[in-house]
Amino acid sequence: MADTTGTGPLGAFFKGMAVTGRQFIATVFGKGLVTTKYPQEMREKPQRFHGRHVLNRYEDGMEKCIGCELCAGACPARCIYVRGADNPDDRPVSPGERYGFVYEINMLRCIFCGLCVEACPTEAITHTRLFEMSTTNRADAIYTKTELLVDEEGRPNHMFETDRLADFDELGEADGWMRATAPQGRAAYEGQVSWSGSAGVGVRPPEAGQSDLPEEAGEGDGEDRA
Amino acid sequence: MARLSTPPHLLTTTLGKAMRWAQTRSMWPATFGLACCAIEMMAAGTAHHDLARFGMEVFRASPRQADLMIVAGRVSQKMAPVLRQVYDQMADPKWVISMGACASTGGMFNNYALVQGVDQVVPVDVYVPGCPPGPQSLIHGILTLQDKVMSGELAR
Amino acid sequence: MSAADRSMVSLTIDGEAVEAPAGDLLIKAAEDNGAYIPRFCWHPRMNPVGMCRMCLVEIETPRGKAIIPSCMQPVNDGMVVHTESAAAKKAQEGVLEFLLLNHPLDCPVCDKGGECPLQDQTMSYGPGESRFVEEKRHFAKPIPISDLVLLDRERCILCARCTRFSDEISGDPLIEFHHRGGDTQVLTFPDEPFTSYFSGNTVQICPVGALTAVPYRFRARPWDLQVAESTGVVHTEGSRLAVHASQNQVLRFLGVDNGATNQGWLSDKERFGFEFIGSPDRLRTPLIREGSGFREAGWGEALDLAGERLRAVIAEQGGGAVAALGGARGTNEDAYALSKFMRTAADSNNLDAQLGDGLEARFLAGLAGRGRIDDLESARTILLWGPDLKETHPILYLRVRRAAQERGASLVIFHPRRTGLDDRAAHKFTYLPGTGPEVLARFAAGEGEFRAAREAMDEGPLAALVGRPGLAEAPRLAESVAAFARRRGGSILPLVHRGNTFGALDMGAAPDLLPGRVTTATDGSAPDLVAAWGDLPVAPGLDALGIAEAAAAGEIGFLILCGSDPVRDMAGFDGGAALSGAGFVLAIDLFLTDSSRRADVVLPALGFAEKKGTVTNLEGRVQMVNRLVPGPGQARADWSVLDDLSARLGRPIGLASEEDITAEIARVAPAYAGVTWDYLEWEAREGAVVPLEGAVQPLRYEPQHADLNGESVGRESGNFSLHLARTMYDDGVMVRHSPSLSRLAPDAAAYMTPAYAASIGLAEGDEVEVPLVAGAVTLPVRFDPTLHEGAVYVPFNQPGMDIRFGVDGPSGGVS
Repeated sequence: MADTTGTGPLGAFFKGMAVTGRQFIATVFGKGLVTTKYPQEMREKPQRFHGRHVLNRYEDGMEKCIGCELCAGACPARCIYVRGADNPDDRPVSPGERYGFVYEINMLRCIFCGLCVEACPTEAITHTRLFEMSTTNRADAIYTKTELLVDEEGRPNHMFETDRLADFDELGEADGWMRATAPQGRAAYEGQVSWSGSAGVGVRPPEAGQSDLPEEAGEGDGEDRA
Repeated sequence: MARLSTPPHLLTTTLGKAMRWAQTRSMWPATFGLACCAIEMMAAGTAHHDLARFGMEVFRASPRQADLMIVAGRVSQKMAPVLRQVYDQMADPKWVISMGACASTGGMFNNYALVQGVDQVVPVDVYVPGCPPGPQSLIHGILTLQDKVMSGELAR
Repeated sequence: MSAADRSMVSLTIDGEAVEAPAGDLLIKAAEDNGAYIPRFCWHPRMNPVGMCRMCLVEIETPRGKAIIPSCMQPVNDGMVVHTESAAAKKAQEGVLEFLLLNHPLDCPVCDKGGECPLQDQTMSYGPGESRFVEEKRHFAKPIPISDLVLLDRERCILCARCTRFSDEISGDPLIEFHHRGGDTQVLTFPDEPFTSYFSGNTVQICPVGALTAVPYRFRARPWDLQVAESTGVVHTEGSRLAVHASQNQVLRFLGVDNGATNQGWLSDKERFGFEFIGSPDRLRTPLIREGSGFREAGWGEALDLAGERLRAVIAEQGGGAVAALGGARGTNEDAYALSKFMRTAADSNNLDAQLGDGLEARFLAGLAGRGRIDDLESARTILLWGPDLKETHPILYLRVRRAAQERGASLVIFHPRRTGLDDRAAHKFTYLPGTGPEVLARFAAGEGEFRAAREAMDEGPLAALVGRPGLAEAPRLAESVAAFARRRGGSILPLVHRGNTFGALDMGAAPDLLPGRVTTATDGSAPDLVAAWGDLPVAPGLDALGIAEAAAAGEIGFLILCGSDPVRDMAGFDGGAALSGAGFVLAIDLFLTDSSRRADVVLPALGFAEKKGTVTNLEGRVQMVNRLVPGPGQARADWSVLDDLSARLGRPIGLASEEDITAEIARVAPAYAGVTWDYLEWEAREGAVVPLEGAVQPLRYEPQHADLNGESVGRESGNFSLHLARTMYDDGVMVRHSPSLSRLAPDAAAYMTPAYAASIGLAEGDEVEVPLVAGAVTLPVRFDPTLHEGAVYVPFNQPGMDIRFGVDGPSGGVS
């Protein structure tokens, strides 16, 4: 090989290794590292991320789901199975006459399109930013009310040991997709109780940027609340 | 295949652990991208997610050199025998990850053209829900697989 | 009257010149000509009322344009109508906005959501937004107005469909508008629930979710229902209905408008009787007797055992020792298989679809002068001598009521007690059970109080509905009445109880009949049948009572029960004794009934909505029933069971599928020539009345007047005449396994007039012992002043009545 630089074989070696070394130092000690350290660190996911579903509650602990099956009707993969039942008079499960007696989602069928979230009239079902759902058998992928329903504090259930990887801090924030598709998501509704967060109870902060929108962009003058 | 963890003698358990550790840390995937999930699978191999961290960056085009088949995408009825053949050509020990809704159950394509779940064709070890699952979801699936292999549950 | 009989008028609808029959309402004329006008209150089968104002259209009048409700406006010649003009649109939008003022919009929890006319029309014709910001009206919701129907007054839009239905159509006006103005609401009368036999229809026609049905409440939403059209087999009228199922579970029936039969209505028993299909008590595997109980077995083992015993019985005792009861609860295909099995494999004529409670088989199958239900529309006079239609033939009841009420047909009723049609009857005669022949003779002669009614018989077209008023009444009486009507050229509709009795008899499920309305004395009238079936048994067969008697005497070695329950359902003989006496009993059934509990082998059968086939109604109309859900467990269709059994006898009957059987029937049964699935599904949308044009019916049975004076039993001192009659809800298998219906049956009681009770020293609530054929039964006394003096009415097969077998004579003594 002709030595075109005139530094000799050893010089070429050091020159090449210098590049490697510079990159090494830049990645390890500087800002050049592009690799996300996933199991150790979570990537910050967008607000409208379509992750695992949860069934929400009202602040008083009542379930939001009324078993209307609109989510099941909207689902293009037909992965949702809902059955309604009469609310027991003495211990109502949800406000009103009817509650979701059976609620099952086959996560392996689900395509995470969010049409169920759009269809839900009570914002009972929302996406979270949880994405860790891998299972070793098909039965575990069918999430029933036990897995879907948030607990009294609004935290989704721990299902598997692997849930240790979940970032539960993120769940306190609003579900962007629900905001983006429901009338209640408009800026005019900020602070309403129905603005519960994706995975919990009570009033949550809105999706970033939503409340800064000009009035007309939000279209929400409150009229269609009736 | 008998599990290496039985009977529980000191030497064999320790050796078994070592073998399983070796298996999990060099699980080479076969390239089996079938649809959009494959894009995410490829993304998982890029620098951003860097499957090399788990010793898995070497996607092998030859099934003989692969340990793990990631079925990434919808499996048509015509692809099913091909898929099975590739699986059969892989050397033991071998594992299968069914990536995404279509591979796992057919997803929204509940029709005659698609296999409604690749587990009808090959034994699946880990199912990864998602449409498509992001690279991190896939990595979670891989970690699940590695956990299970390490614990002896899926050891071959 | 069909449209062709009327003169046509020309009018312009939305700029298009159209023609419509004079007298038609504008809303109907527009719809027939492709311009749909939105509506809530107008229903094609009910009189218009103009309540909802949704159908406002603009018409041009000499004084300018006017907005009028098109459901109250008959078409006129030269009329110019705009259904979509700006003014009409504004009017419709205004009406919808108004209707929605107080509507709660709780669609997500409303059973009607997804199939709601108010939703649909709000989408299509609504204004899009409301100016109403005040609080809506509130009522307690929902309130039960009967055991089957719930009322949510918030949702009601006051269209008066339900109140008009119960007033005009079903004739029990138990719901009505109360209060005025904004407080107007539909309610029942105090302490009087909406206990109509037809209440389910109001749920179906309610254009909002104000009326909902208890059995369907929150069970499913319209978008996850699968639908198949089928034909009801609960009653003999062949009601067309749609079966709705979700997740392989039948969840409701809706009436389908077949103009020739049910016109969209269903009785509650038919509508809510779906519950038995998914009952957890259904049989799932074959059962073989073991000691006092059963053990589960495989099909092969059970059939082998039955086949072995049957082969032995035939070899040792001949075909005469084999008998079969049933067939009237299944399809024609099942009945044909049973008939073919008995005749060719078992070599026996001992089979009967009726259980001693019906009429003569030849009279039912081959009746000359058999009418159609539609004859009621043109009849001047309707003679009803038979059971209370409201209890046993609810669709005929609606049709007769409509004819008497809307067209003024004079209705003449003979019955021992009040009937549901009494308020529309021109002449009603309450007579003592057992004296029917004498009453008929006096009526035919036009004596005394019968003169006016007798004269009505000759006034014009006559339709006669004949059956047994009670199970204690001689069956031949109905034939005498039919003979009387036939002499007057009347069209005759025979009335029997079980849903597909007519189909079963047409398939030869009677000792003296063969498929296609042929008698067993084949005189060359059915060459194809003989060719296909080969040698037929020559020994005359026994009917149900004969079979039961022979079985009790130990002469029947092998008894097949095909969906029949003689222990509870047999009138005139103790079915239990018959089963105990039979050598081997094979039951093919849906449930372990009191009869199949005594069988040696029980095989699980497919039921309604689980098999496809054809059924025949009382006028001979053949319609399809359809499959929508799989059967429970290993249940199989009757025909395939019999086919397998015949193969084990070495005499296969060679049936392969339901469609093949129908094709075979069309080939070999003369009266059923041409009736194939293709024909029924594609050409005869309202069903086909057999025989079709070109087909022959070999048996034409002229009803004969029978001299029954010898059988007539007069009232003797201290004795009473028994009126034993069926009610809509009883303790039958289907009702018992339908939780919503089972609690509706009236309790067992002995009804009598107060005067008669006083004369024998009884008060209301006392216990009285009523002797029946196989023992006495003790019943509480209740008063019914509508009975004939001296008659005692006992409803048949009621819960709490331990002895169900009927009577052998119409009289007995009170002890």
